[in-house]
Amino acid sequence: MNWVSENIALIVTLVLLGANILLLFPSTGRKSGIPGFLLLPVTLAGLGWVFLQPTGDIVRDLLFYMAGGTAVLGGLLMTTQRNPVYAALWFAVATLGVCGLFVINSAPFLAAVTIIVYAGAIVVTFVFVIMLAQQEQGSGYDRIPQQPFLATVLGCLLVGTMLLGIEKTFGPESSRLSVDRTALHVSSLPVENDLGSPGGVGRSLFTDYLFAVELAGTVLLVATIGAIAIAPRRPQGSL
Amino acid sequence: MSWEFFLVTLITIGVAFGGLMGTIAYLILVERRLAAFIQDRYGPNRVGWAGLLQPIADGAKFLLKEDVIPGYVNKTLYILGPSIAVFTAMAGFAIVPFGPVDQAPSWMRFVIAPDVNIGMIYIFCVGSLGVYGVILGGWASNNKYSSLGSMRASAQVVSYEIPLGMSIIGVVLMTSSLSLNDILMHQANQGVLGWNVWTQPLALLIFFVSALAETNRLPFDLSECEQELVGGFHTEYSSMKFALYFLGEYAHIITVCFLTAILFFGGWQFPLIAEADSAYLGATLVKVVVLLTKVLMIILLIMFIRWTIPRFRFDQLMNLAWLGLIPMAAMNILVVMTAKQFDWPIWTLPLGSLAIFVAAGLIGTSGKFIVSDQTVDFSESPEGYVHVHS
Repeated sequence: MNWVSENIALIVTLVLLGANILLLFPSTGRKSGIPGFLLLPVTLAGLGWVFLQPTGDIVRDLLFYMAGGTAVLGGLLMTTQRNPVYAALWFAVATLGVCGLFVINSAPFLAAVTIIVYAGAIVVTFVFVIMLAQQEQGSGYDRIPQQPFLATVLGCLLVGTMLLGIEKTFGPESSRLSVDRTALHVSSLPVENDLGSPGGVGRSLFTDYLFAVELAGTVLLVATIGAIAIAPRRPQGSL
Repeated sequence: MSWEFFLVTLITIGVAFGGLMGTIAYLILVERRLAAFIQDRYGPNRVGWAGLLQPIADGAKFLLKEDVIPGYVNKTLYILGPSIAVFTAMAGFAIVPFGPVDQAPSWMRFVIAPDVNIGMIYIFCVGSLGVYGVILGGWASNNKYSSLGSMRASAQVVSYEIPLGMSIIGVVLMTSSLSLNDILMHQANQGVLGWNVWTQPLALLIFFVSALAETNRLPFDLSECEQELVGGFHTEYSSMKFALYFLGEYAHIITVCFLTAILFFGGWQFPLIAEADSAYLGATLVKVVVLLTKVLMIILLIMFIRWTIPRFRFDQLMNLAWLGLIPMAAMNILVVMTAKQFDWPIWTLPLGSLAIFVAAGLIGTSGKFIVSDQTVDFSESPEGYVHVHS
């Protein structure tokens, strides 16, 4: 029971989160999503309380709450939207929130590239496909989740496990959950001025992570060649 | 983050925003008068002296007209569409320097956000979000024409982002910086012969063509071509919401013209009157005027192109991007990288550009080249579709 009382804040917040997701899910019996939306600020406040001990820098804290809140809100509403177009748009909002977190942690290059690739290209393709594929609303079994309770519980358990893992790895002993940034900087990250700038990222990619980059490049090249081989229309059908 | 910094930023935003809005209003007048001149008619010349008050009358009409929201639209996204269009167009301007940044007066900077070290990537990042305005507007209108227009627009914008981004890599390699002001200073310090237009003519061509497509200007305005799609994605929009789309489009054009002037034409640098080291009284003002004149010239060029080149067909548009511009941009990057690596003299770069251009032209017009075991025929297709013979 010692463990439970230590992590009570996290557990309560996760239960709150799960209940909120369940309330927001579309279902056949209940028409209105109002209780879910009413619970939403409470959940967000709980998450904020667990995740950030104020650092003293008001602007930074405020930006963290805004970006993190946007990301969580976008993720929540993405999973619970009935309309796939709205779901794709909330995914884009969640991506923007995560990119805000990148910017706060001085990684503007990563943020910009994530926005270009995810929000600017991948989600646009999603929306494109959804619009082409689905002119009217989907059929009944497409519109309500099949195993909402199980999915929510498992999802929350996964989130909790990951958070505890992160805390065990990086966090100090006596915090609610927040990652102590100074410890993080000294132990695992090289402290450079241009850490998150294009130059810093490029230098790091082509020196420290050269093998991984080349490997990823090779895989992408193979995929590209495969796509070119499969795509053209041939007289005797495709390959 | 002192109070002065905050105040200076506010003033800069005010100047940039106000200047942009006023310019857009009068650019629309210029465009209408120019169109009339080219089509041999008068154009709007009744309001004020020679039509000079026409933009104000237009604005008043946009504001006062009934704002119709059709009953069958998806209301949230219908309103969100034009808002996103304007927001992304305005946000893109934040890192564009509109004067000599080093010599700015103390009460104002010549760039809204000076310390964005990702520079150009920020503009692409904001620009790639701009496509949402078009997609959402078209889809929310719940109208076949609007949907078709927005689908064309999204395919077009997503495709042309690639050559747009690839074309400036050569310029960035020459400067070793992504910051617009660094690129500008690099050219200004070398005088008029250091302009990137001499060393990177092919990059300029690719950038300009892709920028025309990105801003949905003629000859690439397939998303709103009125013969086929009524008004395209903004068919269902009226009064101020339509005006917002228009505003966003023009702000985007102005940003693109600033980028062209700064990336390829030396920004505020001009021989004799505005060199990098000229510090006479009023030099700052002269530099601003030089830069704005260059931008105006490019905008006028775009307007002339509108009435000179007829609209592309959609398959031609896609083929131009994927079969023409992207391979050319990739080859251009290769040439610049090689020249930088082996310290080739600077005059090899325009020769390389010319060689790529000639090679692309020969491949494109010779008609046939072999793709694996089939012949792909580009020249002899009456409908313009690519015919594949095996």
